[in-house]
Amino acid sequence: MSSPVVEVSSLWVRFGPVDAVRGIDLRVHAGSATALLGRNGAGKSTTMRVLAGVIPPTGGLVTVAGHDIRTDALTVKRLTGYCPDVGGLVPRATPWEHLQLAARLRRLPDGWEERARDLLEQFDLGGAAHRVTAGFSHGMGRRMSVVLAAFHDPAVLLLDEPFDGVDPLGVEATMDVIADARARGAAVLVSTHLRELAVQACEHAIVLRGGSAVAEVSAHDMSGEEGAGVYRALLD
Amino acid sequence: MSTARSWTERARDREPEARRATTDVVPLLRFRGAALRGRSRRTALGAFGVIAVLTVLAAWLPAYLPGAAGSDGQTLVLSADILLLLPSAYLGVLVIAIVSAVASGGGRELLPREQAVAFPVSPTTDHLGALLMAPLNIAWLMQGWTVLGATAFVVGTRGLPAAQVPVLLWLFVATALAQAVAWTAEWVRRGPRGDWTLRLLVLVLIVTTAVLIATDRLVPLLDEAPTLQVALAALYGSGGAWAGWFTAIAWLVVLGVLAVVAGALMAHAVSRRPARDELRLESSVQSPRTNPASDFAALVRTDRVGIWRSVPLRRGLAVLAVLPGLVALAGALEWAMLCILPGLVASGGALLFGVNSWCLDGRGALWRDSLPVAATVAFASRVMVLVEVLLLASLLTLLLASVRAGVPTLSQLVAVLCATVVVTVQVVGASLRWSVRRPFSVDMRSARATPAPPLVMVGYSARLALSTTLTGMMFTVTARISDWHWSVLIAVPFLLFSSYRLVGTAQQWADPVVRSRVVATVAS
Repeated sequence: MSSPVVEVSSLWVRFGPVDAVRGIDLRVHAGSATALLGRNGAGKSTTMRVLAGVIPPTGGLVTVAGHDIRTDALTVKRLTGYCPDVGGLVPRATPWEHLQLAARLRRLPDGWEERARDLLEQFDLGGAAHRVTAGFSHGMGRRMSVVLAAFHDPAVLLLDEPFDGVDPLGVEATMDVIADARARGAAVLVSTHLRELAVQACEHAIVLRGGSAVAEVSAHDMSGEEGAGVYRALLD
Repeated sequence: MSTARSWTERARDREPEARRATTDVVPLLRFRGAALRGRSRRTALGAFGVIAVLTVLAAWLPAYLPGAAGSDGQTLVLSADILLLLPSAYLGVLVIAIVSAVASGGGRELLPREQAVAFPVSPTTDHLGALLMAPLNIAWLMQGWTVLGATAFVVGTRGLPAAQVPVLLWLFVATALAQAVAWTAEWVRRGPRGDWTLRLLVLVLIVTTAVLIATDRLVPLLDEAPTLQVALAALYGSGGAWAGWFTAIAWLVVLGVLAVVAGALMAHAVSRRPARDELRLESSVQSPRTNPASDFAALVRTDRVGIWRSVPLRRGLAVLAVLPGLVALAGALEWAMLCILPGLVASGGALLFGVNSWCLDGRGALWRDSLPVAATVAFASRVMVLVEVLLLASLLTLLLASVRAGVPTLSQLVAVLCATVVVTVQVVGASLRWSVRRPFSVDMRSARATPAPPLVMVGYSARLALSTTLTGMMFTVTARISDWHWSVLIAVPFLLFSSYRLVGTAQQWADPVVRSRVVATVAS
């Protein structure tokens, strides 16, 4: 197997007196998708934020495509596409203005507009492309965040709670985005509370508890009633 | 059988509802206070202590100043000049309170809107909360201290406590009246064609004031202001004329209670009307523009929309740009005195959002920080946008103020320009330093929202007011010197120092640990 695109060793993140992440290890290979599962406060979103270059790690080693996130955060940001767990949209800008900003900073070649329009249509946001996002529903905001994470075809796609409050058509579109990313060789990380959707979207799952990884299993093992029981047991 | 309540039951229910709304203020205050822990709590208590001490000093110390009534065996006549101005000063308290409450869409919130949705907060509670929050504003405090001080100077030490009672009551009445007017204005604004109706009303007020000034009728009118009764009540208290004093006190109490009740009724009326301008802007469609030519241009464009598409910021900036200019116009300030205005406007502009600049990104802050751009470029964009907004507001103010100031000398013009640039850079530096040091998660959609908690805002506004007023005063001196070089010579070290501190803040922002704390806080 090729070397992993995302490699995390002994990741530790501390906020004041609180250890949000305590020694997580994970690897995500090109063309594969891994789900991060766990209860609230397990460290899923913090891990995603570290991988997106938004939070620096307190300890451990994090590399994306061989680039150390501590020393080369800007390159890592160029390689990743990130859908944050909360909001993710600048309140008074329109979706198109978000896309223009991202396209400029990511140096997308001319013609990115067509891809952006296709994605907006795919997520049923074509009619809202020029509307101020402050008036968006939660689900619309989530869908737009997925569009922003995916539209530049990143080498690493980081989706934090992409299904939260999203309607079935939005879930379907997100599944397609994940499948497309895997097909073109991107590494995908999905953090979610929705086990069944995680199982559907990913081939591996890592269960976090109290800031540590307690299990790394095949997504298949987490599916169905039996998987629900396994997952439930891992949460306590 | 009908299960509807009888009219007697409804009448019985009405009273507890009003009482409940009033008592609800206490747990809300406790909830707000509980958020302060450790050092923040000690700082807040200290700040309240300082405000209390300054209030006592303002109400007492001027009575012992040379020239005060009764000092060195002098009579009241020596402080007559101040006495003549007292009614206008009392009226000024009301005017500033009205402007502040109307501009903030009904006054400050005891509990931010997004937090209040989880609780059954009645509009009466909201109204009472806004009344309690009104004094936590440096403009209100300064005005209060000024009128208390002026009254003490006018009456002297004799009967001072009794003289200050009507003044304190007037501060309460003016605040309550302003609150009632603000709710009424908000009710009009939220009605059909409300924006235009309100703009027309403001225009009528401005034109009326302009006509009064042009025909020299403003001063005689101010001399007949009803607030003359407050000044007389203070004199009654000082002189022991208790019948007049008690009558005035009774009137003020009745007026205050009526204003509070009227405000509560209007608050209920407002709550039944949706905030149309906010909703319109939040669902507005914007014409797409061409792709930005550079990273910096792209960031500046995004930062600009955060300001110009925000109802409270647009409204606040308009008030800031126009009001001081109109006051200067009315007072026919000379060019040297105009040096004070940019500091006032820049400070006010910074207090609208600048002291917590990254809150403009709201929950989009995490996504923005995940974009591949150097932190220093993002910082420079924020500086650029803040500078241009503050400069624009200051220049509009100066333009208005200059109409009656005559033709300036070169020295005066340079002094005013230098003052504008220096205070703008000073304010931008301080604002971004505080934005990095103490970020807050704030939803700036509401006109009633402030970028930081009220007590923090008092601290920020006091510091900004002090530094910019002192700087402005310095340039009022250089404006009177015929050689314009002095203004430039003085401006240079100020600019260098402010720029140096700004660079230091940019370096802090570039630190991923600091930046992640700011971003995570504003996005939470």
